[in-house]
Amino acid sequence: MVSSMSTPEITAGLPLFGEERAVRAVAEVEAQAAKSISIEDVSVSYALGRAARRSVLENISLEIEEGEFVVLLGETGCGKSTLLRMLLGQERPTEGTISVAGSKVERVDARSGYVPQRYSLFPDRTVLDNLMMGPLTSNYHILGRLRPSFWGARRAVREEAFRQLAHMGLQASDAGKYPHQLSGGMQQRVAIAQALMMKNRVLLMDEAFSALDPSTRGSLQRLLRSVWSETRPTVVFVTHNTAEALFLGTRVIVLARESKDDACGSRVALDMKLAEGGMTLRSHGQEFLDLVEHIEAVSNGGRLTDLSGRRTALDRCGEDSGLAGRVGVFHEVGETR
Amino acid sequence: MQSKRLGIVSLLACSLTLLVGSLNAVTADAQAPTFTVGWSVYAGWNPYFYMQKSGILKKWADKYGIAIKVQRFDYAASLDSFVAKNIDACAMTNMEALDMPAAAGVDSTAIIVGDYSNGNDAVLVRDNLTFQTLPGKPIMLVQKTVSEYLLERGMVLNGQQSQLGKLHLINTSDADIVAAFLNNRSNQAVVTWKPLVSQIVADKSVHSIFDSSKIPGEILDLMVVRTEVLNTPNGQKFAKALTAAWYETIQQVAAGQSNALKYSAAASGDSVESYKEQLRTTALFASPKSAVDFADGTDVQKKMDLVRQFCFTHGLLGQGIHSVDDVAIAYPNGTVQGNKARVRLRFNSAYMQAAEQGKL
Amino acid sequence: MTNLSPFDIQARPNRLLAQALSAVLFVVCIGLYMQTSIARHRENPEDRVVPSGHQLLAGVRSAVLEPAEEDDYIAPDNASTWERLRHSMIWKDTASSGKRFFISLGLLIPFVVLAVHIGLFPWFGAGFLRFFLFFDKIVALSLLPILFIAFGIDEWSKIALIVIGVAPTMILDVTQMVKAVPQEQIVKAFTLDANNFDVAYRVVFRQVMPQVINSLRLNLKPMMLFLFAGEMIAASDGLAYRIAIMRRHMGMDVILPYVLWVALLLFLIDFSLRTINRRLHPWFQA
Repeated sequence: MVSSMSTPEITAGLPLFGEERAVRAVAEVEAQAAKSISIEDVSVSYALGRAARRSVLENISLEIEEGEFVVLLGETGCGKSTLLRMLLGQERPTEGTISVAGSKVERVDARSGYVPQRYSLFPDRTVLDNLMMGPLTSNYHILGRLRPSFWGARRAVREEAFRQLAHMGLQASDAGKYPHQLSGGMQQRVAIAQALMMKNRVLLMDEAFSALDPSTRGSLQRLLRSVWSETRPTVVFVTHNTAEALFLGTRVIVLARESKDDACGSRVALDMKLAEGGMTLRSHGQEFLDLVEHIEAVSNGGRLTDLSGRRTALDRCGEDSGLAGRVGVFHEVGETR
Repeated sequence: MQSKRLGIVSLLACSLTLLVGSLNAVTADAQAPTFTVGWSVYAGWNPYFYMQKSGILKKWADKYGIAIKVQRFDYAASLDSFVAKNIDACAMTNMEALDMPAAAGVDSTAIIVGDYSNGNDAVLVRDNLTFQTLPGKPIMLVQKTVSEYLLERGMVLNGQQSQLGKLHLINTSDADIVAAFLNNRSNQAVVTWKPLVSQIVADKSVHSIFDSSKIPGEILDLMVVRTEVLNTPNGQKFAKALTAAWYETIQQVAAGQSNALKYSAAASGDSVESYKEQLRTTALFASPKSAVDFADGTDVQKKMDLVRQFCFTHGLLGQGIHSVDDVAIAYPNGTVQGNKARVRLRFNSAYMQAAEQGKL
Repeated sequence: MTNLSPFDIQARPNRLLAQALSAVLFVVCIGLYMQTSIARHRENPEDRVVPSGHQLLAGVRSAVLEPAEEDDYIAPDNASTWERLRHSMIWKDTASSGKRFFISLGLLIPFVVLAVHIGLFPWFGAGFLRFFLFFDKIVALSLLPILFIAFGIDEWSKIALIVIGVAPTMILDVTQMVKAVPQEQIVKAFTLDANNFDVAYRVVFRQVMPQVINSLRLNLKPMMLFLFAGEMIAASDGLAYRIAIMRRHMGMDVILPYVLWVALLLFLIDFSLRTINRRLHPWFQA
């Protein structure tokens, strides 16, 4: 599956591994690419009683391009879900602005698809009705089904739903089932299909696979990767699992807070771009684990000063284990204070 | 398995026997030498409160060597208790005496005829309604009580007997009848008793078109004792003590003795003034002689006949009673109204006579 | 092997035994009743407080086959049982009580819809929630005099009593249910391009519907209670009216069948609501 993937343009032809000019070149190409999501100097904090405030996020600025698969990584409570809720429009930043698909996010609307960890399907609707809900409601609001064109549209959407169902590896016979009759993995497949039915270019996923058992999780990860590679939507995927992050993403952003202090919010601790096919890292046991450990160290609030050392380690392992061509560029190293 | 189930069955039987046993014990308890009198709030009955508070009752009870407890009830509850044989004597009207204990097979004897309503109960209307225009209009009252009896008598005495079926009655609890009537002008007629009547006529748009002074002696207030109690020697002592205490009390009330009036008024939470006003429309038989004369006369039989016919036609004698004569009434002179084998309510003037002759 | 071990949580009584045990209290009740009735009738053959089986049967017959008032339609002697039933006391009372009951049930619907709005729309929540929290604590029965002023003594004051008694509780209950709908569902619906009313009625209302019906089932008894209170205070027909009237002359032979009939009606309504719920919402568990 992975071998058939084409290398994306932005990394194609670039010299590998951490050269200064490579970083510069990436920056240039990036500037030309369409900005799908832009997060400008966003901070979030909540009042904690009289004077105290609890800071969740501090001065986050990110630009996410069209077609990127961004994984937000970090330990529990680091604000990654908060960031995703702000992308959705469910929460508003205390400071700064967030734009998705070219306009500021003010409220939850249909510009992004959403796959949460739980309650991702409407329990009162069959799988088929869940899939058809998006396209039908967007054209026919509450009393819209009284319009004559509704039934024709419904037929078309129904066919599309069955196509999507097959695409997700589900049986047509599952269409009539209610969510509670499906396993957790199947539910999430349907949830992804439900979001894809809307054909929007941004997909936001919040710990979407975290409640699944390891083997189901693996197959869903592969499915998501392949679905993504077909139409290349922008995906922002929140997880606390480093292996999942490295496997799925083309870009991994680690959020971490510098101290346990409430007044101190999370910052971008690490922002790195991987070439496609991070998956093959898996076969390179020890080196992969090193990287994982490293990122975990970072996300646990560790400093990044030793990153250059790691980079060397990666360089080395790349050279003698065929990692070259897979791990692309350490695009940018998060600031340290 | 089989034996186990048998065990359970026997366990069950045991517990059942136990329960039933305890129930019998409770019933047996009623035979104690103490007697209980129940009464409820009404101008003619409030003196029972004074009778107890002043010690008059205790004086007479002590004389006869018995104990008498007096308990205040809601009217309906007092009747229920009497029928359930939880109390030995109870103040009630002649109509309820007939349709509650007597019709339920509890042989009852009226030993005191205390008074009759002489204007205490009234039919009140708005908008100058008359008995001619009343049919079809909503009439609020506590149904199947003396209120309905009064209304029917009013209709009959005003020549509207044929219209009786067209009356539109709304059964309204006496607790809410004043508020419900006064607060809505579309309610045009109400039948009730004092002091509720006084509260309603305070509204100047309401006036009385009929009251119980037009049917004197038909709504009687009695002290009723279970006949089976009266048939025991202790029961007779009880009746004597109660009668003696009653006449001592009521003569004080009739004489306007201030404490007697104060306590009697307090019994229903009324002011002395308001209580006096209620007494004006209550024809007290303050002397035993007047009560004996009334009970022994033939008038009472005519009036009771009207009442029992009313009770029967309204089904107040119960589903099982198929003839008005099945709940018969015996009078002091030996006359029996109805089937002689089924006497259930008795008027007994012997105790009042004894009081009259000073033999108590 | 089953041992007699009532205080063992892990006991497994066999089916037959469990069935028998469940019948025990019923049998005890009937036994006690019969015993009391026989004892009382030995003392007073015309006792009405605890009517005998024979009296009860007569009471049932007159309730089911005879008209309530003297002036009601009286079926001819050769009338069929059905025609007698149609003009019987119990039919008339059930019809008028039922009418009040179902009108109030219908009037609860707008309140349930309002509750969905209160739970979901912040502006509605701000406007209504505190008021209903307060109003819920008002003992509806104490408002009767006011209800009489506002609605007269006819049907509407009784219906208003039921609605005022039950609606605030229902509203708070449904509001809680709506708030318990996972936020994910609402966000998800908006990302599927649903508008506010789609979310309110086609996502949230649909999901809480089975719980609303369950809440209604729990409220049937309070509704009946309020209906009875209303009918006992002022009425000219109805099941509770009849019970109140029968009390005047100790008509326990009619009251007891009425009480059982009301219990049966409530059970049937509850049962049919449960069945409807299961049929309509196969996805709803527990």
